[in-house]
Amino acid sequence: MSDGIWLLLGLLLLAYLGSNLVGGRAIRGFGLASGSEYLVLGFVLGPHVLNIVGRSLAHTFEPVVLVGTGWLALVVGVGYVRVAERWISPGRAVAGVALGLLSCAAVTATVYFAAPQVTNFQGFARLAIALGMGACASATTRHSVRWVVERHGARGPLADFAADAARASALVPPLALAVLFALAPGGALPSVPIIARIGVTLAFGAGLGLIAALLLGRDFRRDESWGVLLGTGLLTVGAADRAGLSLLAAMFAMGLTLAASRHRLEIKAMLTPTEKPVLLPVVVLAGAYVNLKLPTVVFMLVVGAIVAKILIRVLLGSALAWGPARGTGPDFGLSMIASGGFSIAAALAFSTRVPGIASDAVLLFAVVSTILGELLGPAALRRSLARAGELHAVDTHEIGRPSDAPELTGRESHG
Amino acid sequence: MSGHGSAQKGLATRAVQALALAVSFGVMFALTRLTPEVDSRLGTMTAIGFLVLAGTLLSELFEPLGLPHLSGYLLAGIVGGPHLLHLVDHHTVKQLAQVNTLALALIALAGGVELKVSTLRSVAKSLTYASIFQTSIVLVSMAGVFLVLSPFIPFAKNLEWRPLFGVALLWGAFSVTRSPSACMGILSQTRAKGPLATFSLGFIMLSDVVVVVMLAAAIMLARPLITAGTAISIDDFNVLGHEILGSISMGTTLGLALAIYLRLVGGQLLLVLMALGFGVTAALKYVHLDPLLTFMTAGFVVQNLSSQGPKLLHAVEQMGSVVFVLFFATAGAELDVPLLKEAWSIALAMCVLRAVITYLTSRLGSRLAGDPAVVRKWGWAGLVSQAGLALGLGIVIEGAFPGIGTQFRSLVIAAVAINEMIGPVLFKLALDRAGESDKGEAVARPSLPPPAPVH
Repeated sequence: MSDGIWLLLGLLLLAYLGSNLVGGRAIRGFGLASGSEYLVLGFVLGPHVLNIVGRSLAHTFEPVVLVGTGWLALVVGVGYVRVAERWISPGRAVAGVALGLLSCAAVTATVYFAAPQVTNFQGFARLAIALGMGACASATTRHSVRWVVERHGARGPLADFAADAARASALVPPLALAVLFALAPGGALPSVPIIARIGVTLAFGAGLGLIAALLLGRDFRRDESWGVLLGTGLLTVGAADRAGLSLLAAMFAMGLTLAASRHRLEIKAMLTPTEKPVLLPVVVLAGAYVNLKLPTVVFMLVVGAIVAKILIRVLLGSALAWGPARGTGPDFGLSMIASGGFSIAAALAFSTRVPGIASDAVLLFAVVSTILGELLGPAALRRSLARAGELHAVDTHEIGRPSDAPELTGRESHG
Repeated sequence: MSGHGSAQKGLATRAVQALALAVSFGVMFALTRLTPEVDSRLGTMTAIGFLVLAGTLLSELFEPLGLPHLSGYLLAGIVGGPHLLHLVDHHTVKQLAQVNTLALALIALAGGVELKVSTLRSVAKSLTYASIFQTSIVLVSMAGVFLVLSPFIPFAKNLEWRPLFGVALLWGAFSVTRSPSACMGILSQTRAKGPLATFSLGFIMLSDVVVVVMLAAAIMLARPLITAGTAISIDDFNVLGHEILGSISMGTTLGLALAIYLRLVGGQLLLVLMALGFGVTAALKYVHLDPLLTFMTAGFVVQNLSSQGPKLLHAVEQMGSVVFVLFFATAGAELDVPLLKEAWSIALAMCVLRAVITYLTSRLGSRLAGDPAVVRKWGWAGLVSQAGLALGLGIVIEGAFPGIGTQFRSLVIAAVAINEMIGPVLFKLALDRAGESDKGEAVARPSLPPPAPVH
């Protein structure tokens, strides 16, 4: 049997594990907050350690990985505006988006100005690597927040703020990549102005999302609903990639459009269980894609970006300590440093338009950032919640689950 | 594939579906025309999305015409495929063939699950007569038809009588093949239950085994006739015996393992089926066993030796709702339209005569078996379709007889193209007329699953 089949079976096994974790056992039993153990697993299986998943073999599955990243964007988009039975608060959403945008801007600026000093990145490559790292630095993973909140029975304004802000920050990576892809030379729409290209990306995803919503809203049968969702999703991903547009942005826009339809709960119920089964193989393969055979200056750039991300988050945390995160100090900023699958997805999506060293550097940044966030984020959030007096406020089983968290099985919900 | 029993859909629904179909074609058309030079890594994924969406929508739009969903899937592939609009190119179509592995595994599993011993026992006499008559009479008659029409067949008209006889025998063997996938597809769509559905499914699944044996025999007999200096060798049967027994043994083991999994765990069946479809098929091919027979046996074991059959069937149908669309749309895209244009007249003649012989043989077999009226009248309709098995046979013959193989295969492809388009329509018509459609599920399912409770 070919290596490809073995790898496929391995990925299916991961998806199987992922679908079991989706029921909530990861929250209450095992598993890290951002899922970075799977990144490490991929790295260990990859060419730098065991070489079980060699570079060429891993790249055979690149289309599957890219579709996976698009699918994650769709799931995040569909669940973007609601946590549990409530809409996310507009104020907190603005704060979350601002948090993401400022982090993106700080990291982008740092890398943009540092790049000519330490590397030979010039022109679009310089802007691309800067904006790519900025995009990966902007989102806080909602899984990390949920992990802490559910484990420690936290409830209160700070827990809600963290959940809403994390969810809202997911808007920034797709937007940043939409801009980046529009700025890239070539592509299918060379004569279209940049702003229009961004608009086309979002309109394309939203348009196909609208069609999917219209079709699903009609009396389609359940089995055909999957045909419609999968068909429109794959068509969006493929067409965006071929036209040189950001597939992540297009799929996110599609998800937002579906989230606005009157069947959003049903669509979410269909899509949510697919998140972890898709996420795990994507993250493991991303771990295998990590390339450490890079010039030393690239590592310096990555370190610079990481430092910039930590600094801006600490600064923003301190600023928020005067407002919604009162009394938490810089810890709250550190708690929002946690990134996860969506940032990894952004790095992988980046590689579709900007291959080579820049793409390797951005992926390395996303991976290191995720692992670092795993070490710092949950602990900092726990401290913040403790200071706010929201820890152990309720029994862990009474915690309101986010709307995109699937139903617990009977056994799980009772203990 | 989806259920059949839904409420009548309004004009607005059809308009939305038509609009969505136009958009999907429009997007693909614009992409291929605006960026012809771009070699996207996601070409195959885009094609999957397009074929699944267009196939699903076309099948919906065909419903008011009474046409089966399969026709919609096939048409989406034919129109979007490399021979007409070229929205999906040859290379992508070849890549998509890998998905067929999964589809065939699902079809065989579902086919096995549908075969209940009690039901088979009730139609045992019919199946016995039908197997004997449909195999022997169709084989001999179609070989005769080939001999008679050989002056009009370019590659056969100059053959001497010995090789001509050998090729005619192979054509007879090809004509006996049916399409389990088309049968399962139509039954799944119509959710038909009744004597006709039971007979058609049982016969077509069993004939799959018969055809494999018969083909080996035909090749064994034809070889010395077509290739001078070779003799009859029973080695082929030796290998075949191992393959059949090995496949049945493996299928039994697999079926028991599946039944245990379904009983003890039961979750994530879609992923398990994917692993079986891709992984087990690759392993079976590696050890030279027949995946179709293995999966059919596995399904049969799950149905008859455990109580897990309905659960497995439900999971297969759920997954099949997407995989089957892609399978048949790919089959449509693979159809060699230019070849069909060249050979349509002789291929059509062959197909019409095969259908007539199948009809007459069916009437004869049914009368002797004392079948119910619906089987006597419509039993032949499900036997017209030909698809993957027939094409596979063409490839085997091409490999075994390099001299005439390529041209023979071309004629096979043309004939399969016609039978693939007409057969499902006939079978659905028969099930509708026999009143067996929609008997399997009385209530139409909703468009979307009910919302998960939000805590």
